[in-house]
Amino acid sequence: MEKMMRKLSDSVLDKLSMDFLRNQVLKNAYGNDDTFIAARDPRVLLVWYVFFALVPWFVSSLPFLLGCFLIVTVTTLMARVAGLVLLLFLVGVFSQTGYLFLASLLFGGNGETILPLLVLTLKVATVSLASITVFSGLDPDRLSNGLMWFGCPERLSFSISYAYRMLPMLMEEFQNVLLSYRLRGNAPDNRTFTGKVRYLIYQIKIIIHSFYPLMLNTAKRSRTTVEALEIKGYRYAAVNREVKKMKLSSLKVTVDDFLFVAVSVLGTAAAALVGTLI
Amino acid sequence: MDVKQTATQPQKLMIFVLTMSLYGLATLFTELNPHFQVGVVEFSVEYFLFIPLTLAMLFDPMSAALGASTGELVFSEIMLGQFGGLGELEKFITVTIGVYLAGRMVKNPANRKMVGIAAMSGTVIQLFLGMVVDILKVQFAVEDFEAVPGLPQSVFATEGFAFLNDALFSGILFCLLPTLFLVPKLYGKIEPLLGMQPRTGKTALGSINAKVIVCCLAAFAVAVGAELLATSGMPLIDWEAGWAESGTALAAGIVVAALLAVIILAVMRKNAAAPEKS
Repeated sequence: MEKMMRKLSDSVLDKLSMDFLRNQVLKNAYGNDDTFIAARDPRVLLVWYVFFALVPWFVSSLPFLLGCFLIVTVTTLMARVAGLVLLLFLVGVFSQTGYLFLASLLFGGNGETILPLLVLTLKVATVSLASITVFSGLDPDRLSNGLMWFGCPERLSFSISYAYRMLPMLMEEFQNVLLSYRLRGNAPDNRTFTGKVRYLIYQIKIIIHSFYPLMLNTAKRSRTTVEALEIKGYRYAAVNREVKKMKLSSLKVTVDDFLFVAVSVLGTAAAALVGTLI
Repeated sequence: MDVKQTATQPQKLMIFVLTMSLYGLATLFTELNPHFQVGVVEFSVEYFLFIPLTLAMLFDPMSAALGASTGELVFSEIMLGQFGGLGELEKFITVTIGVYLAGRMVKNPANRKMVGIAAMSGTVIQLFLGMVVDILKVQFAVEDFEAVPGLPQSVFATEGFAFLNDALFSGILFCLLPTLFLVPKLYGKIEPLLGMQPRTGKTALGSINAKVIVCCLAAFAVAVGAELLATSGMPLIDWEAGWAESGTALAAGIVVAALLAVIILAVMRKNAAAPEKS
């Protein structure tokens, strides 16, 4: 039990190292601009994504699903996604279905239960990898432009751009507040078991307390942001057709985009062909 | 002053931006943190829902609710490449409903009892709606749901257990207590930063009426519909069957066409690149 508690508090503290998180997220967002996937037209990639996000749910042919899975695996590798994101994906997919399988064993399931679950896992994995390819592989600005072209609400594309710009600053501020609380606080002794529990509670309490100054600061900052936006006439520009057209004029579909689509179609069609032959 | 606490458009945008960045930051941490399981009880620092709950009680509930769900979508799903497509709509809508209702329930933020009740009910509503959608999802995603031995009971049991666990553990520790701590502390201090009057019993938006409930139910129906469309896809089953029957010839045709397209595009690309080099 003590070992478990130590592991518990250790892994909380390790993962809360802000620099680690910030680096991973920033690397994921801006670190891979030069890949083949990042250079694709966002509109083409979004259509591609919709295909791979929807079709696997409706098809039960195993060769077809495997083919789709292979294609999205290759594209994910091509997008050079940050390690943390891939780890999250693996943990997410396997813990979900593994847990369900164990639970079904408890209620009198048997080996047969695993087959539909494996197909489900394959579907989930394909869809998730497709989304990782598109949403991690693409530059945030290009992504929000692509979404805007398809008529997504301006709020959403604004949020995406804003989030990527503000995140490093917000994380730094949160870290500073947290550190100043730690400096001034007196952490309980964490050598005994009860001390460890108290230490964990103390950490969580500090995190919650630090949201108080953070909320006030962010309130000030969001007022500044919105006032700056208002000066530039943001709310009118957001719904104006001319502005939108100007903003989206940088999007261009090239031969490479067609090639990307054609190779994907080739792969899925080949998988479907194998499926019908078997 | 008997005027209702209505925010102007820029102020609504401020609240939106504020909630989005704070809640997005918090969900990013939870997404990156592994979940611990001690026995069957899952200790997850899952719930930073206290942030939008607090802000919804102090400011315009609708903007806070929308900001929270957008923040979660953008920061933890899109930025980490875990966007689940149409399925995300479900979480978006359930979070919006939970936060909005909790915000509407509180007339006077200085009344601690009401704040506690509202925080708890907002959380429970969100978790309950999420559970209903999850059960429906598994029921439709796995073919012959009833035929797989042990699966139906196990889904009900795990989902029900997760709901209770989340509501009691995360609900009290991470929603109720922090909200009770933050709301009275921020009340009267944070509103002037956005240039607004604090909410009092007189200026509240009015209690929850039938219209609000009907709107929430309709939104929930949309969420369920989107989730089921994402997993089962009733209208597209016919399409799949017809496509599978015509079988080999069609698949072979698509393969040949795709292959031709790839070759032609590759040649075009080569030709396009050649003059630049020479």
